[in-house]
Formats: sequence, structure tokens, C-alpha cells
Amino acid sequence: MNAPRDGTRRTLAELSVPSEPGNERRAMEEVAGTVEGLGLPGRTLDRLKTAVAEATMNAMEHGNRYREEAPVLIEVSATDAELSVKITDEGTGPRAFDPQTPDLEAKLDGAQTPRGWGLFLIKSMVDEMNVTGDERHHTVELILHLNGRAEGGATWP
Amino acid sequence: MAVRHFEAEVRREPGAAVLDLGGEINGFAQEALDAAYAEAEKGNPDSILLNFEGVDYINSTGIALIVGLLARARAAKRDLSACGLSEHYVEIFNITRLSDFVSVFPDEKSALDESVAG
Repeated sequence: MNAPRDGTRRTLAELSVPSEPGNERRAMEEVAGTVEGLGLPGRTLDRLKTAVAEATMNAMEHGNRYREEAPVLIEVSATDAELSVKITDEGTGPRAFDPQTPDLEAKLDGAQTPRGWGLFLIKSMVDEMNVTGDERHHTVELILHLNGRAEGGATWP
Repeated sequence: MAVRHFEAEVRREPGAAVLDLGGEINGFAQEALDAAYAEAEKGNPDSILLNFEGVDYINSTGIALIVGLLARARAAKRDLSACGLSEHYVEIFNITRLSDFVSVFPDEKSALDESVAG
């Protein structure tokens, strides 16, 4: 699959993942397959996969509370300048990310829980992360800037 | 996508107990990882080496489990090192600062050479 050659946003895939523990891996592999033709360098693809997995895991766990009937919806789209992955759950209220910045020394000293790495990893792996929501949904949008990132066969200008 | 469940085995090598890890390190791995680490602690080795060569996925919960192992190692004043991480997970060890506390080696030989020399 090639990226669009103009500034128009095009949807590359709309995916639905059941909220079951471990399914974040399925989500990340499906997104990786969707963007396979974009020519992303391996390092960038690995970073995107980790961000997708973590955002999906958060959506399944905190948004949908692992209710199988509540899928996580994933929309992958691209322009010539950016790749966007929107991950939507059926959660309500404030987004359930741990707002505390993880501090490894504090975790080792017991001052922070060992967990709480998800948001930190997502933010570290992509160029932008936007969180939106309404009374019925949360959406986390992951954005990768594509300019200069392509390798071997990428087709956008 | 083939899911590879977590597995762990312990070996004794000069200079360190080696924990061979395989599959996915996520929340499902907790019980087996803790049990394998407890096995590696037997005999009170100076150093435990986590060999990630067989690991193909680590999520944030897996990172938390590794933080837990590091806390146990520090409490016992035991060195914890790692080898066999992919380039991506070396980056994650760096950005989480795990690599400030866990020496990261490209392969088992270099890790064990360092343990024996140390």
C-alpha cells in the first residue's frame, strides 16, 4: 500500500479488536501490516507498534474494562505528511492514563508503583499524541511525521 | 500471528545464574517469571543475567515486571544484567532508564566475560 501522493487524508484501514487480554499484540501486528507499503524504517515501525500496543492495551483495560462486547476501534489514515492511528474505546469520563511521570528510582524505592509506563512509552515512541473524547468514547490519536522517514520504495513526495 | 507464551529456564554459569527468557513478557508472564527468578536466586549468586534472546515482545506490564526483578536484585545487593535484547528493546531500556541500573550486553558471552572479570 502506498501513501497518498497529495495532501488528502486517506483511510488505510478500519480495524476492530475484541477487548481481551493480550489482543494488543494482534492490534499492533494488524496496524503494522496495514502500513507495510509505506516504507517506514524498521526502527520507526517498531516504535509505532509499541505505541499502538500500549494505547490499545489501555483502551481495552481502562476504557472497555475488558468487556468482550466492547471492541477497540482502530483507524489508520495518512496524508503525504503524516501517518495517523486513532484508537477508540467506549470509556467515559476522564482518560484513564496514569498522569504520574514514571521515575525508575522512585519505583525501585517503593515510592511509585512498578507499573504506569504505558503513557510514557506512547509519548516516547511517536511524534504526537492527542487525546479526545465525549460522553461515550475516548480516542487516542498517534501521529508519525513521514517527511524524511521513508526508505526503499516510499512513494510520497 | 503466532503467540509465543512466556517461558523461562535457569542455568548456572561461571560468574552468574542465567535466566533464559522466551516468548512474550506481559502480565501473563508474572508468575512464571517470579518463580524462575526465585530459582535463579538459589545459591545466592553474585549476578543474575537475564537472557532476552528468545523474547519477541515486552509490553509496559512486562517492563514493570523487570522493574520488580531489579528491585529484588538491589535489595539483595546482587548485580542484574541483560543480554540478547533487540535494538528496539535496548532503546526502551534506555528511555525507561533501566539501562542505568541493569548492564546491557549484546550477547551472553560478553555478559559472562564481564561477570567473571568483575
